[in-house]
Amino acid sequence: MNCNDAAALIAAYADGETSLLQSHSIRRHLQGCAACAAQLEALTTLRTRIRAEAPRHSAPPALRARVLATADALSQTSATRRRADGDRWRWMGGGALAGSAATLLAWFVGTAIIEARVNEDVAVEAVTSHVRATLGNHLIQVASSNQHTVKPWLSARLDYSPPVPDMTADGYTLVGGRVDYLDRRPIATLVYRVRDHNIDVFVSPSRSRLAPSDLRAVRGFNVAHASGADMEWLAVSDVNAAELTAFVQKLAVDAGPR
Amino acid sequence: MSDPKRFEALVVPHLDAAYNLARWLARDAHDAEDVVQDACVRALKYIASVERGDARAWFLTIVRNAFYDWLRRNRPAEIVPGEDEAIERAVDPAAIDPEQAAVRLSDARALSDAIAALPLQFREVLILREFEDMSYKEIARVADIPVGTVMSRLARARGLLQRSPLLQLIGGQASGSAS
Repeated sequence: MNCNDAAALIAAYADGETSLLQSHSIRRHLQGCAACAAQLEALTTLRTRIRAEAPRHSAPPALRARVLATADALSQTSATRRRADGDRWRWMGGGALAGSAATLLAWFVGTAIIEARVNEDVAVEAVTSHVRATLGNHLIQVASSNQHTVKPWLSARLDYSPPVPDMTADGYTLVGGRVDYLDRRPIATLVYRVRDHNIDVFVSPSRSRLAPSDLRAVRGFNVAHASGADMEWLAVSDVNAAELTAFVQKLAVDAGPR
Repeated sequence: MSDPKRFEALVVPHLDAAYNLARWLARDAHDAEDVVQDACVRALKYIASVERGDARAWFLTIVRNAFYDWLRRNRPAEIVPGEDEAIERAVDPAAIDPEQAAVRLSDARALSDAIAALPLQFREVLILREFEDMSYKEIARVADIPVGTVMSRLARARGLLQRSPLLQLIGGQASGSAS
């Protein structure tokens, strides 16, 4: 092997991409050729420096948590689909499916999940919505701490007008709202923040076929429900269960006439 | 295995690799998170199609595609079609103040800066090779180029780094000037 042949193969040799025969020939050439040996040396030094000095960035814990939570929420969704019908917690009944709602959802996880949504547990679905919103940075469509901004924004996009209680006195800051989809209907979603936790509150007009109030944990997220002011209130968050329950009950009460 | 279980088993273990690639391509922590999130949503959608032994290259291909889609939406000016043009547009070594470069020699970030300054198509093959230890064949698949192009781009990436005035690499070129 001469220097020209070696030069063409040195990088591949350094990368472990040469055949046994090629590697053997290169090693023999390098023993007698200082110039080519130096070239290999330069490559290995560059590699050593890159590995020592250039950081291999690790996924930030928050990103990892969001991704894991999504997978968790989805696996809960699949589990729910397999459960018997009687075990279902029907939060809202009825509600004709708008085809456009299904289309809007399609971008996320494809048809499998949409099929699952037809019959799935609303609590699990709410957690999935919450996680999806967080994951996609879609948590807030209207950012405002002013209830008089959020309420008309939501009313303009829905066929009902959800109350937007001010909970500042209790330590919960309104940060905004969005229109999400739950039980195959567009639904008003209020976003409150306490300390560093986001709380999604899904607000929907009361239905006659209403399920009992309940508190559930779905893969680490708590889901609390309350009725009040002719609305159903479903809160989803990673704050602790007792606090979330107290919060959603207070919301439902404060939303009513005083 | 259900889709979410497959996702946890096949994709989540490669989250660091995904973020590292996105971070070096986008050169911004926040943008990299957006790219990885988008990639995860895509991966969830197509998770049924991936084989176990193939998961890392498959997922990194998705990350790379998500990055280029993101780039087209957010920084279309950074998309350069040809290699030569890309090198021309990259930092001109002559434009770097030697004094400044000398200061950087003691700076541990100099090498990172030099890698970040590489044109995109050279940076991506280098990251996949040096950080992920991928074979030429795997890199070819992720970057959607022939193996020969992987080799030539790696060579140019390394050459640009070795000649970068941001660095003082020992060894030099074929002359073997170091010690």
